Amino acid sequence: MTVRGTQLLLPDGLSAAATADALAGQLPIVTQRAHVIERTFWDSFDGRVHEAGLALIDNAGGLTLADATTYAEAARGKRPGRSQRLLVDDLPPGALRERLAPLLEMRAVTPIARVRSRLLPVSVLDDEGKTVVRLRVEEASARLDGDTSAPLRPRLHLVGVRGYDDELERVHTLLAGTLGLSEAARPVQDDAVAATGGMPGGVSSKLRVMLRDGQRADSAAVVVLRELLATLEANLPGTLADVDSEFLHDLRVSVRRTRALQRELAGVFPAQPLRRFREDFRELQRITGRTRDLDVQLLEFDELERDLPPTIAPDVAPLRVLLEDHRSAQRRKMVRALRSESVRELRRDWSAFLDGLTEAGSADRPDAARPIGDVAGRRIVKVYKRMVRMGGAIDDASPHEALHDLRKQGKELRYLLEFFSSLYPAEVVKPMVGSLKALQDVLGRFQDREVQAIELRSLGDEVAALDGGAAALMAMGVLVQRLGDDQRQAREQFAERFERFAASEQRALVKRTFA
Amino acid sequence: MSTVVASYNIKGGVGKTSAAVNLAALAAAGGERVLLWDLDPQGAATFLLRVKPKIKGGGRRLVRGKSDTAALIKGSDYEGLDLLPSDFSYRNMDLALDATKRPTRRIAQVLAPLAVEYDYVFLDCPPAILLASESVFDAADVLLVPLIASPLSLRTFDQLQRFVAEEVRDGPRILACFSMTDGRKRLHRELIAELSATHEGVLRTAIPVASDVEQMAVHRSPITDFAAHGRAGRAYARLWSELRDRVDPVAAAATRRGATATRA
Repeated sequence: MTVRGTQLLLPDGLSAAATADALAGQLPIVTQRAHVIERTFWDSFDGRVHEAGLALIDNAGGLTLADATTYAEAARGKRPGRSQRLLVDDLPPGALRERLAPLLEMRAVTPIARVRSRLLPVSVLDDEGKTVVRLRVEEASARLDGDTSAPLRPRLHLVGVRGYDDELERVHTLLAGTLGLSEAARPVQDDAVAATGGMPGGVSSKLRVMLRDGQRADSAAVVVLRELLATLEANLPGTLADVDSEFLHDLRVSVRRTRALQRELAGVFPAQPLRRFREDFRELQRITGRTRDLDVQLLEFDELERDLPPTIAPDVAPLRVLLEDHRSAQRRKMVRALRSESVRELRRDWSAFLDGLTEAGSADRPDAARPIGDVAGRRIVKVYKRMVRMGGAIDDASPHEALHDLRKQGKELRYLLEFFSSLYPAEVVKPMVGSLKALQDVLGRFQDREVQAIELRSLGDEVAALDGGAAALMAMGVLVQRLGDDQRQAREQFAERFERFAASEQRALVKRTFA
Repeated sequence: MSTVVASYNIKGGVGKTSAAVNLAALAAAGGERVLLWDLDPQGAATFLLRVKPKIKGGGRRLVRGKSDTAALIKGSDYEGLDLLPSDFSYRNMDLALDATKRPTRRIAQVLAPLAVEYDYVFLDCPPAILLASESVFDAADVLLVPLIASPLSLRTFDQLQRFVAEEVRDGPRILACFSMTDGRKRLHRELIAELSATHEGVLRTAIPVASDVEQMAVHRSPITDFAAHGRAGRAYARLWSELRDRVDPVAAAATRRGATATRA
C-alpha cells in the first residue's frame, strides 16, 4: 500500500499538547490518545537498509521493514532469538527475509539506535468526519548506553491516506506556509544515530577523495592513505567481533590499496620507513588471508551446492562443517595476530608517519613536491601499457601464471584510477574502469576457481576420514569438475574482454588523458 | 498473494455488509493489509467507512477495465484497511459485466494487480445470482455465507454448495456462519449446534442479533471501534479467528506467534 508522507520539524520545546492546540486552530482535527513506543532500529554497517529508503524496526520481538519516512510497512517477520546480530539466513522464511536478502546479501544487521517516542495521533477530517490525513506529533529521545538518553527535536509526521492526495497537499502547504514548519532533512532514526555518535546512513568503505591537479604528490598521498587508514580502523572492531564477512574483506581491501599506493608512489616517501611499513602491511595482509579464503569458500558454498544434481547435493554437508571448523581455527589465529602489540604499533606508527610526511625533508623523496597530476598520470600510463603488453602476449598456450600476473597489474591499475579519479574527466575514467572491471571479472573468476579447486582437493584426505566422507568425496569430485569447467569458460572469455580493454582508441585515450 | 473472501448470500438483510466490514477491520487491526471492495450498489460498506461514493465513470467503467483500479482505492480511518468504494452505477453491474468478453473473469482480473498489495480482500456482494455472482465465485477463495437460522436458509445454502461444485471449476470454499441469531430461541440454538457439528462448512461462531450491529450505521464505523467488547463485537472477533484458521492455518499460527503490528 503506497503511502505518501513527510516529517516536519517542530520548534524545540513545543509540547505535543501545544502543537495540537495550534493545529486545531487551523484544521478540523480529532486527537487520539497519546502512547509511548520503544523502537530499536537495525541496519548493516554500511547502511544498506537506509540506502534503500527503508527502516528495519524491532518492536517487541517483531521485525518490521518499513518506509524510512512514513513507516508504512513493507514486510514483517519474527525476530529470531535475542541475538544482537542477524544474517539473512538467521531469519525465518517469509516476506521479510525475501525483501532483505537481495538488499543485505552477506551483510549482518545490528541495532544502530534505540528510540523512545511519545506519539500523539491526530486525524484531519473531511465533512463526513472521515480521516483524510494522519498527523502524529512525536516527542522522541535516543537511548544511550545505560539509563541516559538524549532528547531529539520534536516532529510532526504527515502521513497521507490513500486516495486523498489533494488533502495531504493542502495540509502540507498549510503547515509549511501558515505555521512555517520546515521539512526534516532526515527521519528521526537518523537523528538518533547521530545523537549516539554514529553515522546516519552507515559507514561506507568506498574511497571518496577530492584531490587538486597541482597538489603536492606527498600531500595527495596522505589524503588517500588517511582515508584508507580510517576504513581499516572502522572495519577492525567488526572483524574482531566477526559480525559479518564484509568487515574483514573491507579491511583487507584497505590494506591492499595502501600497499598499492606505497608501491606506486614510492618516490614520495622516505626510503627507510617505507621499507618497514611495506613489510608490516604485507604481514597484515598475510595474517588475514587464510580466513578470507575460507570466508569466500563458505560464501560460495550455497551456490556450488545448488549447482550439484539434487541427488548428491546433500552429500557435501560434511565438507561445509569441515570448512567452518577450519575457518574457526584460522580466525582464532587471525584475531590473536590482529590484537597483537605489533599490529597496534603499526597502526599507531603509520598514522604518526602520515601526520609528519609533508613536513619531512625531501632529500630522498624525489616525487614529494611534484604535482600529483604528473606523478599519478605517469604511473597510470605505465601500468596500463604494461598490461597491454602482458595481455597481448597471452595465447592459448600461456601458463595460468600469465593470467594471474595480469590480474595483479589490473588491480594495481584499478586502485590508481580510484585514488586519482578526481583529477581526470569522469567521461574518460568511467568507461576505462568499466572495461578494466569486465576484464578483471574474467581474470578473477579464472584464478578464484583454480584456488577453490586446489583448496577442495587439499581437503580430500580430511573429508574421507569423516562420517559420510566417501559420499562427500564423490560429490566434491563433481564440484572440482564444475570449478574446472567454469575456469575454462572464463579463459575463453578472456580474449574478447582484453581486446576491448586494449583497443587502439582506448590506448590513444589513455595517452591523451594521463600522459 | 491475497486471500479473497466474499461475503455472499442471494438474500438481502442477512448481515453480509456487517460481516464484511467488521471482519475486514479485525483483519487490519491484526496487522494484515486489507482491501474491502464494496460491490453492493447500495454502498452500505462505503457509507459505514465514511467514504463519499464517487467513482469517475462509475462501476460500469471499472469492471470493463478502463479505470486504473489502484487510483480509485481510498484509505479508511483504520490503518491497513482500504476501500474500493461502491457507486450507484453498480446497479448496472450485470449489464456491464455482460458487455465484457469474459464476464465471469472480470472481478479476478481487477484484483490481480492488487494481489501483492493486500493480504486479504473482502468482497461485500450484492444480493443477486446473475453474472456478477459467477464473477464472484471465480475471484473468491472463500464464500462466507451469513445465514439466518431457519431450515429454509439451510436449504438455500445446500443449493449454493451444489451449484458451485457442479458449475464452477476450481470454485471457492464455501463457509456459512449464522447471523442475527437469538440465543433465547430454542430453534436457533439447536439448529446451530446440530449444523456446525454435522456440516463441515458451517462455522461454530454465530453472530447474535444485537443493537450494536445496527448502531454501526449511527457511528459510521466497524463495531470494533465502539463496542468491541459487547456480545456482537466479541462474536465477530471469534468469527474472524475461526475464519482465519480455516482459510490459512499456517499464516494464522504464524500471526499468533509473531509480533504485534507496528503500523505506527
